[in-house]
Amino acid sequence: MQFSLAGILAVLSHAVPPFLPLILAILALLVVAQLVGRLRGYRFTDYHCRPAAIIALLAGVSTLWWLPRLTGSQLAFVATATDWAALVAAALGVALLTWLVLHPLSYLVRGPRRP
Amino acid sequence: MTRHLESPRLGRRQLLKLGIGAGAAGLVPLTGLAANTVTTQARIVILGGGAAGMAMANRLAMRLSGARITVVEPRELHHYQPGWTLVAAGVWQPDRTLRANADFMPRGIDWIRQPAVGVDAELRRVSLADGSVAEYDFLVVATGLQLNYHLIDGMSPELIGRHGIGSVYTSLEAATRTRDAIDTWLGQGGGQGLFTAAPTPVKCAGAPLKMAFTTLSRIKDTGRRDAFNLDYLTPGTALFSQPWINDFLKQRFDDEGIRRRHYYRLSAIDPGAKQAEFTFIGPASEFTSHHELRQEEFGREGEMTEVMDYDFIHVVPPMSAPDFIRESDLIARLGPFRGEWLDTDIHTLQHNHYPEVFGIGDVIGAPINKTAASVKAQAPVVEANLVAQLQGQALPARHNGYTSCPLITDIGKAMLVEFGYDNDMAFLPSFSFIDPKEESWAAWVLKDYLLQPAYYAMLEGRV
Repeated sequence: MQFSLAGILAVLSHAVPPFLPLILAILALLVVAQLVGRLRGYRFTDYHCRPAAIIALLAGVSTLWWLPRLTGSQLAFVATATDWAALVAAALGVALLTWLVLHPLSYLVRGPRRP
Repeated sequence: MTRHLESPRLGRRQLLKLGIGAGAAGLVPLTGLAANTVTTQARIVILGGGAAGMAMANRLAMRLSGARITVVEPRELHHYQPGWTLVAAGVWQPDRTLRANADFMPRGIDWIRQPAVGVDAELRRVSLADGSVAEYDFLVVATGLQLNYHLIDGMSPELIGRHGIGSVYTSLEAATRTRDAIDTWLGQGGGQGLFTAAPTPVKCAGAPLKMAFTTLSRIKDTGRRDAFNLDYLTPGTALFSQPWINDFLKQRFDDEGIRRRHYYRLSAIDPGAKQAEFTFIGPASEFTSHHELRQEEFGREGEMTEVMDYDFIHVVPPMSAPDFIRESDLIARLGPFRGEWLDTDIHTLQHNHYPEVFGIGDVIGAPINKTAASVKAQAPVVEANLVAQLQGQALPARHNGYTSCPLITDIGKAMLVEFGYDNDMAFLPSFSFIDPKEESWAAWVLKDYLLQPAYYAMLEGRV
């Protein structure tokens, strides 16, 4: 049983709406943090913040625990290569997102610092 | 009262002429047929607005221009039945499985909100509950099936949720009450659980297994596994139609301490005493999970029976086509599905005696295929073949028996088992990255989050 691109889009049109408020809230947080930070002089190449990186790393690692639980499952049931690929990709995504939010926020709180 | 009186009944020759506007000729590939709109004045009646009926209504409404399409469906609510096992397992809230039928019913069709009570295949007429009739040139039988609890002495759907009785098949309310009955049993801290299988083809043949596995999962969570005994009683030698999965399940049951008892059919229940009577059918009958037992073969004299006590029992009733189909000319007269199921060619899904009639979904006589996933595979076949029949062409599409069972083996993991009735029930995986032989979190997430959206897209005829 194969799905065409139109079929996949049709499925997503039913799958995404329940999560749309959450997706929009996360995107808004990201955009606001980045936008406000840049308006105040934030450039991610010029600013270093080890705590933001550590928290992002912890958020990513913690995903391995909470994401299976969020789906009514548990880490012990993450077994196949596909399972691990999906979970690791999600963990990387959470880590990156966390860093992209926290990094400009820390700049706003702590102010510009030399590398 | 007759509906559609303004339209003259068409003879076979006239039916052939209906397709002239299509502009298609000869054997057209399925994809080619799907691309063309066909102009016709044919009257098409679809019996049932469930998964199969709704998918066909949308597909034919998009495909045919000028056709008069009627859906006979009394219910206003659409139930996502594949979610009922998750409701009974306490994973989903019941309202997650409900939508309005109006959300999916295509525009421009005639929706008759009452049940059909008869079909006269010779006169091409469907009788309705109010005494009126709907005439057709083409008929799509998508009625679903009938649950025959009355074939179990002492059992009725009203008992579900009381006296330790559960049954996930009947309704959303019954699935919810089954959840409550399991809660009550778990609250007792131990006891005997009986999980049954039916001596007929059933819809979602994985559901009885899922109920056993999800209940076991919840028992383990109580930390008192040893206080609970679980027996799985099945009329046949097999637990599942697909051979590899059947072997896997038998081994898993043995590993988990679920006692398998083969050749047992639930024949009576005493709710007050919490006792169930099983008839021992015997290995000579060579039953499988989709064997051929018919109603007249129930309750033979001299059969050995065994009465078992239970604290919880999951009842899977015998099933058949609805009575008004069984009493019509459309029912199979020969072969393994005689007297019980719609007489269709299992590959073209066309009726074996009435070429203007097609069957889809649970009602058809097929060795497997009573799942929503099967409907997804069957719907484009019925669409293509009905349109070809309308045009007087050879039927171009063939169903390979595809079905899918997201087999929950624990709350939190599942196997995405996809197979068909060709090539000895060979696997037909949709995704190369999901192995049907492996339990996985990904398959669980698919079941929990993505299969319901795919189902709704199917209802709309978009997948």
